[in-house]
Amino acid sequence: MAPAASVGPWMQIRGLTKSFAGELALDHADLDIERGKVHGLVGANGAGKSTLIRCLAGVTVADQGSVTVAGEDLQKGSPQASEQAGLAFIHQELNLIPHFNALQNILLGAPKVTRLGMIDWQRSGVAARAAAERVGIRFPLETKVSELSMAQRWLVMISKALVRDASMIAMDEPTASLSGPESEQLFAIIRDLSAQGVAILYVSHRLEEVLQLCDRITVLRDGRIVDAAERGALNKKGLVRAIIGHDIRPPDERARFATDRARQPIFRVREIAWKSAVKGVSFDLYKGEVLALGGLVGAGRTELAHLVAGVARPDAGHFELDGKRLDIANEAEAVRAGIALVPEERRSQGVMLQQSVGFNINISTLKKLRAIPGLPFVSGRKARRQAEGLVAQLGIKTPGIETKIGGLSGGNQQKALIARWLNAGTRLLILDEPSRGVDVGAREEIHDAIRALARSGVGILAISSDVEELTLLADRVLVMREGRITGELTGSDITEARIIELSYHDTNDAEGEIA
Amino acid sequence: MMAQAGTAAKDAPLRKSSWKRTALIWLSRYGTIVGLLLMVVFFSANAPGIFLSRANFLNILSQASLTAIIASGLTYTLVVGEFDLSIGYVASFVGLIVTGLMAYQGFPIWLSIVCALLLGAAIGAFNGVLVTKVRINAVISTLGIGTMLTGIGFTYSSFPIATGIPRAFTDISLGRLVFGLPNPVIIMVIVLIALWVILNKTDIGQKMQAVGGNLEAARLSGIRVDRIKIFAFATAGFCAALTGTLLSSLLGSGTLAAADGYLLDAFAAVFLGSATLREGEFHISGTLIGVLILAVGFNGLSIFGAPTHFQPIFKGGILVLAVGMSALARRYAASA
Repeated sequence: MAPAASVGPWMQIRGLTKSFAGELALDHADLDIERGKVHGLVGANGAGKSTLIRCLAGVTVADQGSVTVAGEDLQKGSPQASEQAGLAFIHQELNLIPHFNALQNILLGAPKVTRLGMIDWQRSGVAARAAAERVGIRFPLETKVSELSMAQRWLVMISKALVRDASMIAMDEPTASLSGPESEQLFAIIRDLSAQGVAILYVSHRLEEVLQLCDRITVLRDGRIVDAAERGALNKKGLVRAIIGHDIRPPDERARFATDRARQPIFRVREIAWKSAVKGVSFDLYKGEVLALGGLVGAGRTELAHLVAGVARPDAGHFELDGKRLDIANEAEAVRAGIALVPEERRSQGVMLQQSVGFNINISTLKKLRAIPGLPFVSGRKARRQAEGLVAQLGIKTPGIETKIGGLSGGNQQKALIARWLNAGTRLLILDEPSRGVDVGAREEIHDAIRALARSGVGILAISSDVEELTLLADRVLVMREGRITGELTGSDITEARIIELSYHDTNDAEGEIA
Repeated sequence: MMAQAGTAAKDAPLRKSSWKRTALIWLSRYGTIVGLLLMVVFFSANAPGIFLSRANFLNILSQASLTAIIASGLTYTLVVGEFDLSIGYVASFVGLIVTGLMAYQGFPIWLSIVCALLLGAAIGAFNGVLVTKVRINAVISTLGIGTMLTGIGFTYSSFPIATGIPRAFTDISLGRLVFGLPNPVIIMVIVLIALWVILNKTDIGQKMQAVGGNLEAARLSGIRVDRIKIFAFATAGFCAALTGTLLSSLLGSGTLAAADGYLLDAFAAVFLGSATLREGEFHISGTLIGVLILAVGFNGLSIFGAPTHFQPIFKGGILVLAVGMSALARRYAASA
């Protein structure tokens, strides 16, 4: 299958390096990819998998290093060049146009047969139908994509790659939205394609899958390739060790708040389920503790936070706040009940960038700032006093409360968002990725503020994908995986290794291996 | 000397670009006000006797007042990040109904006006419900409702209502109750102050700004976003109704489509205003300046005897220019 001219592996990645804002996202990565093999790529969030794939796709330009495909250098930073070299990329979001049918989607952007300048769908369709047959599509290609299941959409994406004569198809978390049998069907197709000489680059958090499917597995950590092994040379335990590294931090010495379970919990979650993202989650949150949810991106944590904060309504289950059952229809009702969310996407969901720091802090407590109770006028004096007080309390570094919040650093914006809820009668504060994009110093201050709030009696539920942050911040960690809570860690058990282990394994699973 | 010249030359490109940038920011903030002043100076110098007179200034203010009222209402919908294309039609429709209530139904003047204003607010609120609850794009829903109103107005009265309107009604806009200023000017001042206070000094105004600033953030802050938007639409409808009522009083009749043209004026004024003093944000005082630019411009055109077909050229040109300036101002604010 391989062209005679090329010697060695079909694709050679050599010394690929990329840094963002001084941080190395990819550090001299070497990787060989051969046609007819399934290559697994694993690593924690931020390990550099996406950066590697984006470099191959030509979406990101590498700082150093080279990629050769079939003996020829791949032009950097050119998606067209990557496509011409036969590389195809299927992202989780599947860039399909929902109201186009499968055939139109498969042919989108591909050369089409035209007659008199009009697309001849009949003849253009021949190649598409051949591709569809190769992946075993059984539904009519005239079906709109919006009417297809996720698994069928994946088949459309793969056909789309095949129509362009792709020699390599990279798949990012293909099974994240597929059911068990659908995943099996996809694996069969992947094996088929591989047998036909297509190289597959398979990126997944699901280690069982990777071990079962891939001929070769490459592990990335902190931008470096730390392990590469043929099938059978690695087991799940070894893979987990490679992903988190050997230099595991000693358990944090800081005294953690010992949860007092004898008292009535501030907040209870009972059998909450929503779509396929959250599958029956229950837990209690006690006074004084910082409770954190860990797990991988897509484990259902953000969805759970949204359900609590009224962004969406659960399909099943209920919440109790201070012993009272809640029925929350929307965000406004959640806030009235005393539940507030500091969202993951600070810029798009948190701050009003064009408004001042004071405006952003006061927006949730306008009623308390009225000049005369009962009349809707906001007292400038009270507003100023509250904003200035909170700025001082949280150490928000700003020239003044009239400064536009867009001019502040991410950490100070985040503090302002926490300040928003301090005088709002908040009983439960949910913080989704509280220190994302925040420097270490500000992170420390944000953590202190969160702990102080917890000790003062506000329920704190923090969500973080940053394992280190979980060990630093949390008094108790619940780890979620695929919509379920897979484990609970307290005290000195809260370590990076244990969190990662639980993120990848079921508890039963882990016990089984240990036994 | 040589060395000095050398460093000066080296610094020059940097200094020039930052100078240019400062100038652009300054221009985007104060450009509209400078433009207004330049127009006033130019017209005063070239037509001192006619332009620069108390009578003419009052004339300009009277003309501006109806536009200013409808444009401030429109400002509210833009503040919350929406759009209202129905305001001109609402003004025409309500202007017709208010005269009809007096002429056909025999309502007293005060009751007719109250009904007319409430009708305008109700139409606005209905627009708001269509946009927020039914989730129809604001451009489509307000255009649809506006077009329907034209037809409903025609059904109500296919010819202008000119007889049976009490003299006292036309006196409302012709009278000069305070300081010898035309009544519409006084009404405009009251409306503008009220809308400015609501927008800047009350909870609902702060919430409107939050909704327009970042819808998701506002929602997560516990703001009932839909209600805020409906309030903004209702205000726009109310203001449109007030302009329509004053226009009928001014014309002494209820005429189909009489106020349709205010739509474009209002949009031009509001966008000019958003490029004034602030970076692309919609605000009441900006809107007033936008209205004055239009009024002075129209006045100048007619003083210099420009043919009437110059008016739409001026109006359309200003609208495009205003929206362009507003967009530029926002881009500079974002990059700053």
